[in-house]
Amino acid sequence: MILDAKIPSGPLAEKWDKHRFETRLVNPANKRKFTIIVVGTGLAGASASATLAELGYHVKTFTIHDSPRRAHSIAAQGGINAAKNYQNDGDSIFRLFYDTIKGGDFRSREANVYRLAQISNSIIDQCVAQGIPFAREYGGTLANRSFGGAQVSRTFYARGQTGQQLLLGAYSALMRQVKMRKVEILPRREMLDLIVIDGRARGIVVRDMRSGRISSHVADGVVLATGGYGNVYFLSTNAMNSNVTAAWRACKQGAFFANPCFVQIHPTCIPVHGDYQSKLTLMSESLRNDGRVWVPKKVGDDRDPDRIPEEERDYYLEKKYPSFGNLVPRDVASRNAKEQCDQEKGVGQTGRAVYLDFAEAIERDGLEMILKKYGNLFQMYEKITASDPRREPMMIYPAVHYTMGGLWVDYNLMSTIPGLFVLGEANFSDHGANRLGASALMQGLADGYFVLPATICGYLAETKLAPVKSDHVVCEKGEKQAADKISSLLNCSGKRTVDDFHKELGRLLWDYCGMARNRNGLETALAKIPEIREEFRHNVLVPGKNESLNQSLERAGRLEDYLEFAEMMVVDALQRRESCGCHLREESQTAEGEARRDDENYAYVAAWEFAGDGKSPKLHRENLVFENVTLSQRSYK
Amino acid sequence: MSNDKIGLTLKIWRQPCSHSKGKFETFHVNNISSDMSFLEMLDVLNEHLTLGGKQPVAFDHDCREGICGMCGAVVNGQAHGPEKGTTLCQLHMRHFRNGDTLVIEPFRARAFKVERDLVVNRSPLDKIIQAGGYVSVNTGGAPDGNGVPVAQDTAEQAMDAAACIGCGACVAACPNGSAMLFVGAKVSQLVLLPQGYPERAGRALNMVAEMDELGFGNCGNERECEAVCPKSISIRNIARLNREFFKAALFG
Amino acid sequence: MGTLSKIILSSIGKKSIMAVSGIMLGLFLLVHALGNCTTFFGREAFNSYASHLHSLGCLILFFEVGLVVIFLTHIVLGCMTWWQNKRARPHSYEVYRSSGGRTMGSKTMPYTGIIILFFLFVHLQNFHFTDHSREISAIVKGVLIQPFYAIFYSIAMLALALHISHGFWSMLQSLGINHPKYNSIMQRGTLSLCVVMVAVFVLIPALTLLWPGFLL
Repeated sequence: MILDAKIPSGPLAEKWDKHRFETRLVNPANKRKFTIIVVGTGLAGASASATLAELGYHVKTFTIHDSPRRAHSIAAQGGINAAKNYQNDGDSIFRLFYDTIKGGDFRSREANVYRLAQISNSIIDQCVAQGIPFAREYGGTLANRSFGGAQVSRTFYARGQTGQQLLLGAYSALMRQVKMRKVEILPRREMLDLIVIDGRARGIVVRDMRSGRISSHVADGVVLATGGYGNVYFLSTNAMNSNVTAAWRACKQGAFFANPCFVQIHPTCIPVHGDYQSKLTLMSESLRNDGRVWVPKKVGDDRDPDRIPEEERDYYLEKKYPSFGNLVPRDVASRNAKEQCDQEKGVGQTGRAVYLDFAEAIERDGLEMILKKYGNLFQMYEKITASDPRREPMMIYPAVHYTMGGLWVDYNLMSTIPGLFVLGEANFSDHGANRLGASALMQGLADGYFVLPATICGYLAETKLAPVKSDHVVCEKGEKQAADKISSLLNCSGKRTVDDFHKELGRLLWDYCGMARNRNGLETALAKIPEIREEFRHNVLVPGKNESLNQSLERAGRLEDYLEFAEMMVVDALQRRESCGCHLREESQTAEGEARRDDENYAYVAAWEFAGDGKSPKLHRENLVFENVTLSQRSYK
Repeated sequence: MSNDKIGLTLKIWRQPCSHSKGKFETFHVNNISSDMSFLEMLDVLNEHLTLGGKQPVAFDHDCREGICGMCGAVVNGQAHGPEKGTTLCQLHMRHFRNGDTLVIEPFRARAFKVERDLVVNRSPLDKIIQAGGYVSVNTGGAPDGNGVPVAQDTAEQAMDAAACIGCGACVAACPNGSAMLFVGAKVSQLVLLPQGYPERAGRALNMVAEMDELGFGNCGNERECEAVCPKSISIRNIARLNREFFKAALFG
Repeated sequence: MGTLSKIILSSIGKKSIMAVSGIMLGLFLLVHALGNCTTFFGREAFNSYASHLHSLGCLILFFEVGLVVIFLTHIVLGCMTWWQNKRARPHSYEVYRSSGGRTMGSKTMPYTGIIILFFLFVHLQNFHFTDHSREISAIVKGVLIQPFYAIFYSIAMLALALHISHGFWSMLQSLGINHPKYNSIMQRGTLSLCVVMVAVFVLIPALTLLWPGFLL
């Protein structure tokens, strides 16, 4: 199969306008004849559901939560980028485009990223109109702050809760449509399969998580906005319920999965404190503006930090990267922290942490100044760890945060299955091999509010869809398969719990498919994953029954998918023998040990086709063409 | 980080499904690290229960960083437990002592049906939002973001109200099972900002009517909601809702 | 239901009518307390106040009827909210602990309300539906010289104090008056109002009982 990204021809800045003009429209009166299923109610799903309903489509929206407002978009702290240039500091659409594509280490499509930058401004206008309380200047205009990877101030924010406010904006727009009966909302439903009839996505199989009832829902188009797969590592900053199930089952039905190995690891998280740990908490990267990162020089030095004299401390980032120091990008900071801990210089009870010390900054600027900048972060840290960063250095450690990989989509956000559209973190489209701060919110809302509503009509207008009912033979088959999967999990009655397996998988991936990878490690992981999966299938213990709320069963189903998906992830990592974006491939580094990208051989999107259980997935390449930017190597020395 | 281990007696509400009768069941947990969060303590309990062939305790949770509003239970009589301004997932075990007995119950209100154990159905809060907790603006066609200036202080006040995470603790803690803080927070956010002005009258009337309809109680100004709110949302927002309601009822 | 009755019977509608009727009852209490202050100036002052009051004729009847209506509104709506609030939590908590919002006053509103209602009956029985051939000071003395009544009156007044301690602030909040600038004044105001009013009302039975020279 040839991957056609359907990128419109013509100059970069005119592609989106041209494409919208050339896309066939659906007559307003006919829109209500189309039913569209949206899975997920994060920024992308909620905004898409609301906008499609406003346009007149009949929308059925599914969420695994009790309410659409819970999706993990809500936890984004920092802000949302837009090329408004309100600060008059030289920002422009092209600059936002350039920063994003460069930040993504030149592994994303020019046309998609440019469109994202173009739409960014409308997102801000839309959100303001919805009554989102963005931060304001004294004069009443919108305030901006700067963020990593950019030299301009273009990030709009609502305290440290921007994601929450944007999500609640989209949620309220969605609720308005529910009230108007344009959207039917189905909470606590988990998608278990995609229904593909005559080669087109026509519906989904879902399980009602309260009653266990499995049913099919059919439609004219299916939209997945089901987020990322960071929880494959067990510990991540993702919410506990975030999972790959919907995307993976779509992949098994024929949707290609692109760049699954592109995972972003965030350097400033609160470290793991025990085996029981369920989740990692992110702290804003801005802490590195004033904090100094260090570890003891001596291996196994377990003295309290204040007893370690200055000359016995190793400020390894400042030493190694004199010009950027503690402000090196996320991936470099993360990788170096892990390296120090691997050399057994890590601190804290588990030895999996490094210090982030504010003593010098407090001495220099005064405590008041530092608290003004970081007071809420200090409080948050103290609440979780019961240690006061004003008196002792913080401890930080990297954690899995965002997954740039996702289902492959074309310029219309349609996957390789016609009629299946994928939005937000669930697709792969805009962030390349690394996502810049404050860009995830931008992409989710761009996809949901503006891109999908403009492109889906083209598909619907051009396609002749035969009427389908939910008792179609394909639906029944899907329901039966889902039910069988559930009963095999419940009937296993093994000896190990779901979380136990999940932790094992997570550790394996963290060690071999994390920030730094090499062929040996990846091959080890590739050999080990099927073993874990096999054991899981024979030895997992899932209590309870299907016919009631059963959270162990939910987790078991998701883990089963992770165990299959992880293999594709490692295969992808193995084939990409270059260091790129968030990850270092140890075979591909400079003499100084820095990441080396290989544009000659790897300037492509790796889209994987599921080839059947137990078979290695098939690689399809989408070559990336750069006509408007010059590819450059990063250097932070 | 300290690393004390404590043992606890847990008295937890167990209810297999919404239409069955529930009862309390007592469990003992040992070796609970004081660095654990409350939900991690429940995870540990559930692992033990699962391995022992028993049903784990169902409880809602998701982000575990205090923002999604999914978690929540009443611990020893207080919604989200004894710490101020804290969700259950951010409550750490260092706030309890070795040998403590904790009574853990679901959020209780007529409007919140228990689904299982500690899981309740809070969709009535969505229904209240559906009644008017939005600005009726379709996508596209919005004026420039800087078109209407908003005073910094006003935006901050709106943000104070908008911080609501919809966890339902206010309802759970209210002696009258009222959702006034939830409604007040949304109405306040949208009336403080100019974007919410045009629909202010209908919004206040309809959201209050929906709240009443769904079986929430009447506000008695007991201030328990404010005291348990994990985002410390002030009852000043309830006063603002009252004002909005009068204006709408008398002149709207 | 019509729009108006819907609004009146809504949760905020009921509360605001409770608040408004509360203010009226409060004003009545204030006037009553001021009138009662005449007892401190001796028998004659008190008696002449009473006869002046009674000379108002049909005006007094108008006020009496008004008061009954206000009382009934306050009581009926109070009972309605109480009943609805009970129903709003059919399954109560095994353990309940306040997180610091409730006060003694707010917790006991329905109960202090019932005590006050009961007191009202006794009070009317004692002073209104009684033989008015004696002068009023003698009637007051006759009742309050009995320790049972003196103590009952004092307890009822403490219940009233408790009721107002929440009621006054709650009335302001229900009417939408809450601003960080004035909140502390409002709270102090509530407290001093309570103390003054109750001091007057409690002082009368206390003095009657303990000081034989009172109202002579």
